[in-house]
Amino acid sequence: MGDRDLELMAHLMRRAGFGATRDELERYLAQGYEATVDELLSPGDDQSMPDDLIRRYHTDQAEARMLPSAGATWIYRMVTTRSPLDEKVALFWHGLFATGYTKLNQARTLLNQVDMFRRCGLEKFPALLVELSQDPAMIIWLDNQDNHKDAINENYGRELLELFSMGIGNYTEQDIKECSRAFTGWTLKNAEFMAMRASKDSIWPYGRIAWHFEYRADDHDHGEKTFLGEAGNFNGQDIIEIIVRQEATAEFVCRRLFQYFASDEVDGEGRETIQGMKDTYFDSGYEIRSVLRTLFNSDYFKSHRARYSRVKGPVELMVGAIRMAGSYQTPTFGAQTLAAQALYMGQGLLQPPTVEGWHEGMEWIDSGSLVERVNFAARQLGDVQNPGVRSIIARLAREGEGVLTAEQLVGRCLDLMGPISVSEGTASSLVALAERDGDLDLKEHHPGDDAERRVGNMLRLIASTKEYQLA
Amino acid sequence: MTTQAPAFTLDYVKTIGIVSAAFSGRGFANPYDAAISADGRIFVLNRCDPDRAPAIRVGICNLDEDYLGEFGGGSGSGDGQFVWPVGLALDSGERAYVTDEYLHRVTTFDSSGAFVAKWDAHGSGEGQLNGPAGIAVDADDNVYVVDQHNNRVQKFSRDGEYILQWGKAGDGEAEFNLPWGIGVDALGHVYVADWRNDRIQKFTAVGEFVASYGASGDGDGQFHRPSSVAVDVEGYIYVADWGNERVQVLGPDGSFQTKLRGQATLSKWAYEYYAVNPEEKRERDRAQLVPELPEHLRAPYHVSSQTEPYFWGPVSVSVDKHQRLYVVEANRHRFQVYQKR
Repeated sequence: MGDRDLELMAHLMRRAGFGATRDELERYLAQGYEATVDELLSPGDDQSMPDDLIRRYHTDQAEARMLPSAGATWIYRMVTTRSPLDEKVALFWHGLFATGYTKLNQARTLLNQVDMFRRCGLEKFPALLVELSQDPAMIIWLDNQDNHKDAINENYGRELLELFSMGIGNYTEQDIKECSRAFTGWTLKNAEFMAMRASKDSIWPYGRIAWHFEYRADDHDHGEKTFLGEAGNFNGQDIIEIIVRQEATAEFVCRRLFQYFASDEVDGEGRETIQGMKDTYFDSGYEIRSVLRTLFNSDYFKSHRARYSRVKGPVELMVGAIRMAGSYQTPTFGAQTLAAQALYMGQGLLQPPTVEGWHEGMEWIDSGSLVERVNFAARQLGDVQNPGVRSIIARLAREGEGVLTAEQLVGRCLDLMGPISVSEGTASSLVALAERDGDLDLKEHHPGDDAERRVGNMLRLIASTKEYQLA
Repeated sequence: MTTQAPAFTLDYVKTIGIVSAAFSGRGFANPYDAAISADGRIFVLNRCDPDRAPAIRVGICNLDEDYLGEFGGGSGSGDGQFVWPVGLALDSGERAYVTDEYLHRVTTFDSSGAFVAKWDAHGSGEGQLNGPAGIAVDADDNVYVVDQHNNRVQKFSRDGEYILQWGKAGDGEAEFNLPWGIGVDALGHVYVADWRNDRIQKFTAVGEFVASYGASGDGDGQFHRPSSVAVDVEGYIYVADWGNERVQVLGPDGSFQTKLRGQATLSKWAYEYYAVNPEEKRERDRAQLVPELPEHLRAPYHVSSQTEPYFWGPVSVSVDKHQRLYVVEANRHRFQVYQKR
């Protein structure tokens, strides 16, 4: 295998997953790039931490009443899954179809929404939009339980068009009204009781009661509607069928996928790539899986211009560091604090700031969040007791005679943590720091000894580089 | 002439509990086990989690739903504190034994709730513990501890002196996979909820294998991650079929008798809450609390999360001398009481 193949595969795994250990990269390389893309898009058993183990030891996660506990359940999944793209896609839709705990007070139902993203997130876009429109967390989030045949509430209809599918400027105010009429009667079971409990934040008497969809035909406006120039007795599904046919929808979905998976900024060649994705969108009958296959196999995605062109989101960064370090592979005391850590970095899982989700790219970074990001990754990767770090140390010790110069130490650590390409300035700074302690002798290393700690320190330093903060 | 044995029947009696959000007082917080004293007081072990440390404790109430007090707890490793408490048992002198799978510890309290002692040698040697889970006391006050991560049962005197042990990792006879609950019958047989092997194993008091009941599944007599087992005076075996969110009852020979899905009603404390929140009660009375669910929510866990009367997280079963069954539900902060007919 060539270094270029390795770098390309590492790039793919940073985008379609949360990075990869060297063992994982070697397995992917053996099967080839396109086969890996296919595996990521159509994975088998994800082999993530089983629910029974999580629920036995973390009774707070079993109940899923408290927000940090629910966030931890999802992080466990991201950390241990063998199907990382499923989680990455769920995270993408969670950011786009942003639904937050604060108004719902219903963490279990939010986790069910994430399950739905996992189940439908790579499928055909209309099916996903129907599920979204029937999602009880979304219904309460945007008040569709108050959308009645004789008194419409436009909240969901408006955001469906503006934020979830077409983007502003591609429809009229009348379209919003007609769209909303079509979604009357789309509510949740026991809507009045559940909405009251949500607004009161009631946990009484026996904790939360999770929600599910209910269609009330007697509260649906069965009359004729005119939507985007088409007329008929439309129900919600019909509206969605019209939405997904629009050029604006193809542009909206493909552009957002491009920015999430390929590059924060869209340049000329990026626009061409998006056009290719749009062609696939229509040719495949609006299938997200096919659109992403087109993106991952595009020249643009594989080119150097796509590398390190995205700022890692906080959850991406955390999960990547944990997976590399090999921690949290079994139920671990204090797991719920992981969700709090993500919040400190600006991305509280299941609690996006608004219906518009998070502002991504460079907006992830400010002085406070950067310190949190660096500290978290450094703690994970600097701990030589973590199994992933031990694996890196073992590889280093096996190479050559077990003695590394400062330059070799830096080079090999950058390689095994990615490979990560850093600027010459970064590389020379790392080497200068490593040279202070001379050559590193790992011939007779023992867990936690000085030699191992030097490796941990180097991994910690690399975690604080600009390049590590980028995907 | 043949006579047909009467069908085994359990009648629902009541539900006791309410979620606790206070530092003390009535209510439960993710209860994990219960034990019934000779005079009918019900001791409930609240597992909760370290983020809500004051709620980690043992609460005491009675069948009339009077809340009588509490002892132990707070999150920490000090004497009388817990981190991840799992099991609770009482001996003939009303000494309480609490296991903690994080601290690898058994803590004992006297009948006033005062700390007595702790056994917390961590390891895999004789008398050492690695993740103690279920705990039971026999008629002679011998204490059986499920030593979960060592996949064995250890027998101690009431003062923690090691007596004997049996079991190892595996799925054969007298082998375990992360065992959880344990019960003792009137004849001194010991029953272990072999959690990840989806079965109940029965042993003599010295650890000789007697029988194994159940297999993986959701059919009658099958289990999914059984967490607790109790045996009544006639030898009927009650199993908290945790992963299937139900309770099953087996006959003394292991034959399937009946199963319960739960039918909780409002406790006295729940009525007290609604007395001052009548608008919420009105909406509740209009709601359908046992709904039909869409296909993707039909796994037992999801059904229970959406269906308040059903068991959700039934971690523990206990039987008292009046043949009443107590089913503790971790995720609903309550227990349901049934009476054997």
